[in-house]
Amino acid sequence: MHRVTVPRALLAIDAGAATTSVALLGRPGPRWRLLGSLSAPAGADVDALGWILAARLAVADARLAGDLEIAADEAHRLPRLEARSRPVATLAVLGASRRAVGLLEAVAARTPWRIRTASPETHDPREMTDLALRPEVTAVLVGAGDPPGPDERGWLDDLAGLVGAATRRRPDLRVVLAGPVASRNAWAEGAGRPYDGTHEHIVEAPPLGVRSGPDEPLREILEGLLPAAPDPRQTAVRTLLSLADALDRKLELIDIGLDGGLRAIASPGIADQGPAAVSVRTAQAALVPTEIDDAAVDAVLAWTTGSLDRHRMGDRLLDLRGQPWAEASGEGARLRLAATRAALARLAAVTTDIGAMPSPDVTIVSGGAFAIAPPRAVALAVADTIRRPGATQLAIDHARLLGPIGTIEDPDERRALVADLADDLLAPVGSLLVVAGVGGNRRSGPHAAGKLVLDGDQHGRYDLTTGEVAFVDLAPGDQALATLDFKDAVRVGHRAKRVTVQVSGGVAGLTVDLRDVPLRLPERRDRRRAALAAWGELAWPGDER
Amino acid sequence: MTAANATVDAEVADRAGMELLARRPLLVSPIDMLFPLQPGDRPLVKAGEAVGRAQPIVEQVREPRTIVVNGVGTAEEPGAPGERWAAGPRARGNESAVEGELLFRSNGRWRVASGERAETLEAPSAGVVEDVQPGSRITIRSVANAIPGRMTLAGPTWGRLQVATGADGELRAQHVDVGAAGAIIVAGARMDAEALTRARAVGVRGVIVAALGIKEQRDFLASERRGRAAVHGLPPFGILVLDGAARRPIASPLMTLFEAIDGGLVAIIGNPPALLVDDPSIKLPAAAPDLVRVRSGPLAGAEGTWAGLAGPRRFPAGVTLEAAFVRFGGRPPVAIPIGDLERFA
Repeated sequence: MHRVTVPRALLAIDAGAATTSVALLGRPGPRWRLLGSLSAPAGADVDALGWILAARLAVADARLAGDLEIAADEAHRLPRLEARSRPVATLAVLGASRRAVGLLEAVAARTPWRIRTASPETHDPREMTDLALRPEVTAVLVGAGDPPGPDERGWLDDLAGLVGAATRRRPDLRVVLAGPVASRNAWAEGAGRPYDGTHEHIVEAPPLGVRSGPDEPLREILEGLLPAAPDPRQTAVRTLLSLADALDRKLELIDIGLDGGLRAIASPGIADQGPAAVSVRTAQAALVPTEIDDAAVDAVLAWTTGSLDRHRMGDRLLDLRGQPWAEASGEGARLRLAATRAALARLAAVTTDIGAMPSPDVTIVSGGAFAIAPPRAVALAVADTIRRPGATQLAIDHARLLGPIGTIEDPDERRALVADLADDLLAPVGSLLVVAGVGGNRRSGPHAAGKLVLDGDQHGRYDLTTGEVAFVDLAPGDQALATLDFKDAVRVGHRAKRVTVQVSGGVAGLTVDLRDVPLRLPERRDRRRAALAAWGELAWPGDER
Repeated sequence: MTAANATVDAEVADRAGMELLARRPLLVSPIDMLFPLQPGDRPLVKAGEAVGRAQPIVEQVREPRTIVVNGVGTAEEPGAPGERWAAGPRARGNESAVEGELLFRSNGRWRVASGERAETLEAPSAGVVEDVQPGSRITIRSVANAIPGRMTLAGPTWGRLQVATGADGELRAQHVDVGAAGAIIVAGARMDAEALTRARAVGVRGVIVAALGIKEQRDFLASERRGRAAVHGLPPFGILVLDGAARRPIASPLMTLFEAIDGGLVAIIGNPPALLVDDPSIKLPAAAPDLVRVRSGPLAGAEGTWAGLAGPRRFPAGVTLEAAFVRFGGRPPVAIPIGDLERFA
């Protein structure tokens, strides 16, 4: 009979594109606890990080380290849960018309692929062949309507011949056929043989539809083409499911990383149904796009209050892309959070389906961009970009545990670990309350909108002004009932003049956001900067530069 | 910082801890040089073939275009994508012979990638051809020592190395003269677009610079495109950027390498971005093991010696970061975020 030895300590490793993070977990009693965590620039030696963590534990609590048999020199022998990011792969999206490419691109944008598009309306056949043959392109998505639209018919044979020829020249190329492309005679002319459905690198997908329908089937196929190694964003969704189930709360996870982002929402199981999640991983939400063009620069400039011109901002973003850990303090911290806001805005733009869902009980933010910023600045960045009316508790995956824990295949085992660690793995930032419909007449300027009372005046009474962001102190661990009375009906999930919501404390306290939903920043640059600076003053107290 | 933390840090400082810093390799060998091919380009080498410096490896089409042709090949051998195709001059017209690469066949007609003129790309360094994929890339393995950079613009190119200024210098247009023709110059911390244009004009073959702003990059690439489109084309030229966009001096270990190589033949390659040093007789100095460099932040460019981990520290803007002590000269150690530091290996 086998006796399974359950480890009493382990290392959880999240090796991302920018950061390598190691957490030391131990089970001093019946429950697992987070004993420490440490992050370093990507490529840092995991064993060295483990050694330092173990050494710090030994100095801080030698008895605990002894009980758990954790020694610095033996730390590299500890069992590991490891999730490792892969380099972003490139997908060529080809269609017979610009419209068809647009439809495919909208779906592919909601996957971790980096996308390059081409159609005969924008590229000549040589350029399209060049794209399909580029070494960095590992897959091609080609689609057409069934039957083909009038704008596709003229070019569809050429497209079929072109992709068929690409499969002949690059047998390793993965191809997704979304529509009747391979059935064209030109496919056989290009590929050298008719398509019989047996080519292992070619996958068939539903054709392009006139009406927009669920994109899951095609997204699943595209994500299925990616390497099977555990990616932290992929495995984090599993942990989110377990966490939602363990806490019996609806959770949202927002992750911004160097190469992409994730937005997922998970609900606990009901009756005999298990927990369920909706998630979108996208390369569009990368902290800094790979190609820093004017649009990428402008997107960040729109969130800055400094005086950088386009070229200098481009320089800063280029350096941030190359060295994401560099200059993380001072002005660099502000730049990083401006880039994060731009990435969050891109993430929100490709996840409108998740954005339309009711506010979750807890919103978890994750990723290096949030890890080091002051808590109020994090809350403000989320409030600026994820404009969903309602109340949610904000928390941060400070030790980057969601990805590594998700590598546990057995859901019961994973749930048990998550239940043990629930108090440790999330650091409470505070609560975010976004109220819509308080704008009133913009020409009349800010005016009194109502009042906020926390727990029958135990914590205080606050007057609220239209268009403001207010931070109210509420310590971590505190719970309060927030009652908001407005002169006119507002939206906080539903329309009402009086709203009562449960809020939780955190380092940033309670953030009450009465700005427009969606947020409308002034068009004029000086006014926009003034507005951003005024809100920023609240989030970066003392303006420590 | 608490007393407990201080004790922890004292313990941990005994261990090097330098493994937490970003590692910057000084020399890499061997190296696979990738030369991208576009459809229509004609590879002049085969896999397994040894190539020498300046040996033509690709005939690149200029002003590429797609032509549509009928009657390629025979019923038995109808041609295949990627194959070369050529047609003689037309009997009645003035059109000259055309050739190109077969792209694909659709409805019985071939699309062919062709171009009006061709220019040859020469190998910047000796090596052995590992792989040739028409329309995609040629890979050549070189056993030369490579000094990795951050990015390369244009290139590849080769020439003798000339250190034109100090690590923190900035080469101005008026300081670029014909004396540097044929050389790859080490241009210090940064170079503006005017100086780059002048360097190109006087026959400099390449520039090595610590940083190049995004505006200078765009200006240079636009100028390069215009030059390439001109009738006579342009001689090889490349820019190797060592660090990034913001101005900073060249790291001293790299500068020491450049000074050791000064006058020797080197090559700039684009993929991966690197400077190749062919001559095995040049003794390339290594960096001190405890040398660290501040790559960003207020002290960007400063170099010192490792003095141990400092633990989490609070920095401007209310940010708490893992830090390390660095000793600059004889002064007391300074705590710097580990993300702002790099080590050499």
